This record gives sequence, C-alpha cells and structure tokens, in this order.
Amino acid sequence: MTPVDYLQFVLAPQVVNGLALGVAVVLVALGLTIIFGMLDVINMSHGEFYAIGAYAALALGAAGIGFWFLLVLVPILMIPLGMAVERLLIRPVFDTRDRHVTTLLVTFGLGLIVEDVLKIVFGANTQRPPTPIPGATEILGIILPNYRIFLILVGAAIVLGVAFVVYKTRLGAMVRAAAFDRNMAASLGVPVSLVYAGTFAFGVSLAGLAGVLLAPIYSVFPTMGRDFILLAFTVVIVGGMGSIWGAVVAGLLLTQVQALASLVISPVWTDPIVFGTMVAFLVFRPQGLFGRLGHA
Amino acid sequence: MHDRLTQSMRASHLLALLFVLAALGLAAMGAATGDTFYLRLGTEALIFAGLALSVDLLLGYSGALSLGQALYFGIGAYVSALTLMKLPSFWLAMAAAFLATLIASIIGGLIANRVRGVYFALITFGLAQVMAKVVYNTRELGASDGMIGIPVIEIGFGPFSVSAGSPVGFFLIVLAVIMGLYALTAYLLDTPFGRVLTALKANEKRVPFLGYSVWRARMAAYVLAGVIAGLSGALYPMLRGFVSPELMFFATSGNAVISVVLGGVGTLIGAIYGSVLLVILKSIIGSWTEHHLIVIGLLFMLCVMFLPRGLVGVVRPAIETWLSRRRPAPVAAADPADLPAIIAETARTSR
Repeated sequence: MTPVDYLQFVLAPQVVNGLALGVAVVLVALGLTIIFGMLDVINMSHGEFYAIGAYAALALGAAGIGFWFLLVLVPILMIPLGMAVERLLIRPVFDTRDRHVTTLLVTFGLGLIVEDVLKIVFGANTQRPPTPIPGATEILGIILPNYRIFLILVGAAIVLGVAFVVYKTRLGAMVRAAAFDRNMAASLGVPVSLVYAGTFAFGVSLAGLAGVLLAPIYSVFPTMGRDFILLAFTVVIVGGMGSIWGAVVAGLLLTQVQALASLVISPVWTDPIVFGTMVAFLVFRPQGLFGRLGHA
Repeated sequence: MHDRLTQSMRASHLLALLFVLAALGLAAMGAATGDTFYLRLGTEALIFAGLALSVDLLLGYSGALSLGQALYFGIGAYVSALTLMKLPSFWLAMAAAFLATLIASIIGGLIANRVRGVYFALITFGLAQVMAKVVYNTRELGASDGMIGIPVIEIGFGPFSVSAGSPVGFFLIVLAVIMGLYALTAYLLDTPFGRVLTALKANEKRVPFLGYSVWRARMAAYVLAGVIAGLSGALYPMLRGFVSPELMFFATSGNAVISVVLGGVGTLIGAIYGSVLLVILKSIIGSWTEHHLIVIGLLFMLCVMFLPRGLVGVVRPAIETWLSRRRPAPVAAADPADLPAIIAETARTSR
C-alpha cells in the first residue's frame, strides 16, 4: 500500500470517525463541565440524561415526529426535567458541608433509578433509529457518511453558540457572576436561585440534545450513558473542570488519540490509554489544560 | 468535657457485638436445618461488608470518597485465586493477597493522594477502571470470563481444620476475619493516628499547624483501606470458586458506597450492617421484580438527603446516652495528642 493510499483509505477515515466521536463526547462533556463550573456539582447522572434524550428521540420519532423537529423539541422537553431535579434533589443538599461528595452521591442514586426506569419502559434491548441523512459524500477521494459530516458541523455550531452565550451575552455574564460570588451577584440583582436552576437545566438539555444527535450512530440501550460518561468525565478533567474550551480541546484530542492508537494496537487497549491520560493529568496537572469557568 | 469519639465508638462496639450474636444465631439455625443457600448468601454479604468497611474508613474518617475501592478487592481476589490454584493453602492465599494489595495500594496511594476532594473520587474511579479493563483483556487472567475451577480448600488452625466447602464452617471463618478487620480498624482509630484522621476530616488546614503530616496520615489511611479491601476480596474465590473482572467494576465499588451510606458514614459498624441490609434488600426485592435498582437507588438518595448519618447514625446516639448513664465517660485529658480530637469535637458541635 502506498503512503497516499494509506492516507486516503486508512488514516483519513479514521481521523474523521474520531472527529465525529470527539464532537459527540464534547457535546456530553459540555453540559457536565458547565454544571460543574457554575454550580460546583458533579452530575453523576449526566450519562442517564443523555440516555433519556436518546430514548425520547426514539419514542417520539416512532410516533411520527420528524428528526429536525426533534432536535428542537427534545432539548426543550429536558429543561423542566432538569429544573425539577435541581429543585428537588440538588437544592436540598446544596449547602451541606461537603457539597461535592453529597451531590455526587445524590446524582449517582438518581442515575441508578433512571437506568432501571428506562429498562422498564423501553426494555433492555438495543435499538437504533434510522439515520436521518443517509448516503455518503466523497471529499478529496475520501468517502464519508453524510450524517457524520452533519454531526461534526452541528456540534461545532452548538459549541460556538454555547460559548457565545456564556462569554458574550448579558445572560452569560449573570451566570458567571453567580458562579463567582453568589452573594455579590444576588445583591446586584441577579436572580441567583433561578440562574442555578436554569444552568443545571441547560446542562441537562445539552445532554439530551447529544442523545438525539448520537442515537442514529451509537444505538440506544439503557446503560448507554454509563459507557459514555467515563469518556466525558475524562474529557472534563483533562480539559479543566468547568472550562468550555478545555472540554472542546480535550475531547477532540483524546478521541484522536483513541482513533489513531487503534490503528497500531488492538482497540480494546485504547480505553486504558485514555484513562491513563486522565490519571496522568490528575497527578501532574489536576486543574487540567485550561482554567475554570467563572474563576479565571 | 466527654470524649465523644470514644463514647460513640463504644456504642459501635455494642452494635458489633449484637451483630456477631445475630450472625452466630443464624449460623446455628443454618447448621440445624442443613441450609446452604442462605449461609452462602450471608457469607457473601460479609465479604462485601469488608469492602464497605474500607470505604467507610476513607470516607467516614479521612473524608475521602473512593469510587474505585473494588480495585483492591479485585486484586485480592485474583491474587488469592492464583495462589490457591498453585497451592491450596488459606494462610498462603491471605498472605499473598495482603502483600499484593499492600504494594498496589502504596502505588495507588502515591497517585491518588496528590489530589483531594472530588478529584480524589474521580482518580480512584479512573484507576479501578483502567485495571478492570486490563484484567478484562488479559487472556492469562481469563479475560472477560474470569477464572474458574479454584479448588475447595481445607483451612487449618494447628490441629483443627475446616473446609471452605462447609457452609457453616466457612461462614464462621469469614465472620471472624471481617470482625477481626473491624476490631483492628476500630483499635487503630482510637490511637493518636486515628485522631489525626478525624482531624483531617474536620479541618485539614489546621492539621499541619499541630505538627502532623497530612500526606502521611492520608497515605496510611489509604493503604490500610486497600489492604482491608484486599483481604476481604481474598475470601471471595474460596466461597464461589471463581473470580471475574466484574469484581473490579464500578458496580462493586458503587455497592460498597451504597452500603456505607445506608448503614451510616463514619460509624464503621454501619458499613457492615449496610452491606447485609443491601443483600437482604436485593434478595427480597429481587424475588418479585428484577428492577431492584429503583428501590435501592431511591433509598440511597433519601438516605443521602435526609439521613446523612445512616441507619446506625439514627440508633447510635440512643445507645450512647444509655451507655453514658450506665458508666460515665472519662474526661478528656488536655494532652497534646488529644488536640485533634478536641478540634474535631469543636468543629462538630459548632457546625
């Protein structure tokens, strides 16, 4: 095989597939990192919200609602759910002495429940919705599935949109202010309680959106969140907890490492490499690649 | 001023005594009826209680949440299984598991203790996950199937010997090992070392000012917890005759955390009660539905939110009052070694 062939038929498709997975991971990690950066809450049930989004897309899609409408509808439906979880579960333990541990435990319990509920409602079998954009396109002699190209573009748009809202708008400034100093923000007229609930709901809604987008590629099953959340946590840690750009860079970097490493070694060993990277980062640079939202 | 720590540990010991009596009663009943199933289930609950005990030592005393304690449990189980297949000796298997987890937890501790709080939780989670994946993919360790065919051993004590195949005999041995680990932990927590741990949880910033090394205390607690988990894990292949990578998975670590929270964080005996309670709940709920996670998850969440001290935390104050009425607690001396305990005490009452 000539080097050009290798590039065209092995390396490039692998890089693009890794990019699609990277965008997927970034979408899930984005909500996780925003919730941590703003509220100081480790949401262990984030993967389950991602699963809820995917199942909602599956069920509503089967009921005849089109994919394009679902992209808007599911995230909106997730907002009241996120608000309710924040009010009923996070708020009561928000001011305990060890907030990290307590909220981690509460959301861990919630994750267990959601997983089992999904199993009861939808069954334990793996399902897969039809691909909304079939076919493939040839770019520079590289054949790429259309849906993956779409996913990469939409993912980039979502990340840019979120970053714009958080860093450039008045709403984002209020959210960052509330994260930086709750009391000062409150005395300047920021509705802190609403901002907290809204931020959590926003993170949950992003997870739901990721679920809708990824269901056609990675199929839908009750424990789908559990497998994905590990990678998302790794991305959040390596990128720096609470940093949006950190999540983007780390997400793309780690999935490329995974994709390219699997060309050289057996794919089953790429997971230890990715987790090993997380451990190495925690040891040598616990704050991650970038600083933290609202704190830098 | 009463030393509340000694007082509450005394209440825990009373609960431990009740536990042993109940277990002995169960063993006698099981032996009389010739039961195998419930005794085996009880033995398994006890083995996982050892894992929960190690989680409670970290979470309840040094204040560090480990989400990957199953790592050491799994290492103990695998090393014990490998040793038993070479040479079926109980003591050799326990010694090998002890050494292996000692080394593993020193390495793990060097990594994990560089960070704290939520990062500690995630790093322990990551470490366990990496190791579980490695075991899962190693053909020599049986890969995803695990290892089967571990021989049933005779456990000798001088002239006497008990077979691990005998439900009652092995139940009693596991009971002795786990309660021995409980007693050892309780004893160590009552030494100045234990008080430094308590002080760490109460206020980590003040501990260095009193001349104690935070790192050394955290490291000691981590290694101790690792070894306790490893020794409990070493018993597993003797009971079931196989080991599988599931022993290292997050579900195992998660169950230990659930046991500790249900039973009561920072009570030691609560971890053991919680573990037994979890097994009972699972088999009761499991008898009419396979969806037991909903009920356990709900109970767990309610416990975290409304009962942060767990079941033992509810019962124990009453026992403490009863004990102190019977026998007044000693007054804490103003010895420098007691200072951390006094700080912990003030931190607790002023909260």
